[in-house]
Amino acid sequence: MQATKSFERAFLKHLLRGFRLSAVSYKSMSLQERKSAIKLSADVAMASARGSRKWTRGLITKLSKEDDHRSFLRLILGTEYERLTKPCHGSWKIPRSKKIVRRSLRVCSRRKNNLRAPHGVKSSVLARTLVEKRTHALKRLVPGGESLDGYSLLDEALDYVISLRAQVDLMQKLLTTFEASKLSALSKCTLPERKASFVGEAGIHQQKLTEKAQLRPKLTL
Amino acid sequence: MSGRGSSSRITDEEINELVSKLQSLLPESRRRNIGRASASKLLKETCSYIKSLHRDVDDLSDRLSALMATMDANSPQADIIRSLLRS
Repeated sequence: MQATKSFERAFLKHLLRGFRLSAVSYKSMSLQERKSAIKLSADVAMASARGSRKWTRGLITKLSKEDDHRSFLRLILGTEYERLTKPCHGSWKIPRSKKIVRRSLRVCSRRKNNLRAPHGVKSSVLARTLVEKRTHALKRLVPGGESLDGYSLLDEALDYVISLRAQVDLMQKLLTTFEASKLSALSKCTLPERKASFVGEAGIHQQKLTEKAQLRPKLTL
Repeated sequence: MSGRGSSSRITDEEINELVSKLQSLLPESRRRNIGRASASKLLKETCSYIKSLHRDVDDLSDRLSALMATMDANSPQADIIRSLLRS
């Protein structure tokens, strides 16, 4: 299962726009500041590209808790910001869903367990506590998950995972593109320019370059 | 949404579909093709997968940041990247 093409397009568009707005390629920031700006752009882009879902609202709400993020969010999301942070009219809970999920999953494992010596009540009590513990863990990981339960939680988790995968995939592609463009640009420029651009990169072998030499800079992939 | 909670009762079929969709995404399930998982296993693997994806994003942000940091303001590659960002 994958994110849609339109999601990918929207994500990249918003990501690059976010980079532009936070001026990551211009401003002299610390490595950490730039990284935070990139991460923020990536998360906003992901939520914005996906549209209105429980987890996207949860994510935007969480991000807007920090003052310096809020102006960035308003800038990049525009009217969408108000829409996504508006409280939902009571997330309608599906009260029996948790039991239903557990019941159907337990049926599967019970069929397995029937072949083994019955452990009695103890193991099922342990299993239930484990499920509860892990459900709480999942609730903390999925943005907006605290107010969800059972089926809705799993449904949002599924959607969130699909979007996260796309986010990782697209950021990787962007990184590869940037690195490739860096390489092709370097192979075209003259020696003094090359030397200047290598300041800051390790590379003792750069000193041995001649104009006609093949370029093999250190690749960090 | 007024009154009576959910109008759509969630069927067993829907649950099974959701569970199998989730399982098909999880890396461990894909590799070992675990036929049927327990609820706790599914939850645990979903949690670890989400955490690992978060780590990937963090790592990629580090690398993108480092890459932009080494860009000399006037270098040709900075121009290329800037033109990409200008879209």
